[in-house]
Amino acid sequence: MKWRGLFRLVHRDVGSFCVALTLAYGLSGLAVNHLDDWNPSYRFETRRVELGAIPPGTPAELEAHVVRALAFDPKHVRGHVQDSDTAFRVFLVGGEEVALDLRTGSATHKTVARRAVLFQVNALHLNHLKGVWTYVADAFAIALMVLAITGMTMMKGDAGLRGRGKWFVGAGLLVPLGFILYVLQ
Amino acid sequence: MRSLAPARLAVILAALLMAVPACDKGPARGEAAAKLAAGADTAAKATAEPAAAPGTPYGAGVKLAAATSIAEILGAPETFKGKTVRVEGMITDVCAQRGCWMELAGEAAGEKLRFKVDDGDMVFPVEAKGKYAVAEGVVAVNELTGDDARAYAEYQAKEAGKEFDPASVTDPMRIVRLDGVGAVLRDQK
Repeated sequence: MKWRGLFRLVHRDVGSFCVALTLAYGLSGLAVNHLDDWNPSYRFETRRVELGAIPPGTPAELEAHVVRALAFDPKHVRGHVQDSDTAFRVFLVGGEEVALDLRTGSATHKTVARRAVLFQVNALHLNHLKGVWTYVADAFAIALMVLAITGMTMMKGDAGLRGRGKWFVGAGLLVPLGFILYVLQ
Repeated sequence: MRSLAPARLAVILAALLMAVPACDKGPARGEAAAKLAAGADTAAKATAEPAAAPGTPYGAGVKLAAATSIAEILGAPETFKGKTVRVEGMITDVCAQRGCWMELAGEAAGEKLRFKVDDGDMVFPVEAKGKYAVAEGVVAVNELTGDDARAYAEYQAKEAGKEFDPASVTDPMRIVRLDGVGAVLRDQK
């Protein structure tokens, strides 16, 4: 088999094998590029609740009062913290919390939920898993380089690198090069 | 190459990648699984942590046996500056964007110590709020000028999604934090 034939075969099969991760990393890339504008992994919701006058008591009693008033399942309560003389928080499983103003009885109930799909693809893309996933991600990075090289060279003639290919490769090089030269200097 | 049926070739490729975890002998497998399930109270505890600190390990875990109280560190930060300490406390806040810090509560009201790591070094899940952390790190003391303090406070407010009034910060600020080495998170003390 000639080398171009081999490259086409490698490009086709490695490309197919990488479809899932390429889409996952691409999706995550879009999501985390805009980290300043939103949280790509979690969705937060806050609602105001009024608990009325708060009876004096120990922190444990205050926690019990909040749990009763908001009808939480006591099994879901993790604990509490007294942030100041007037600020008290109760934590529930899953990162949920109630922040209470002891003077007014006003509280905010914050809940957190993972964004479906995005949480998982971000964890893979940003290598939150560490350990062995690092090697899988390394293999994927190498596969992408193989795809670039085989993709660039597998066609010959006018459709190949010596024909229209060189313009596209050149244009693709100019974009990052332009940013490096004009923005990073 | 052509003699291999495509299905067989694809399965071999996948099997090769799946075999990597099987070759891994370290604690990372349990750790990774636990981190995926982070926030769930049933997070895997089958890790190679010392018996003194059960839970889900992050980074290098915890090596020191004796804990220093957060009050002690905040009371005399210069004494501890540059020293590696172990602290324990309830997690009251976590960096929502990158999971790159968590705040631990001391015994007294308002006592908090931030445990900071480099982005991606360890990633603490937002769902960890209210859990108990045993953390080990190096005490860092940073003196901020008025301008730096304002910029810092503005960043903190933005991160927390709160409004910021620049006039509210005029004085220099001292930041005491723990530069994280490792931690163990668990449901209860």
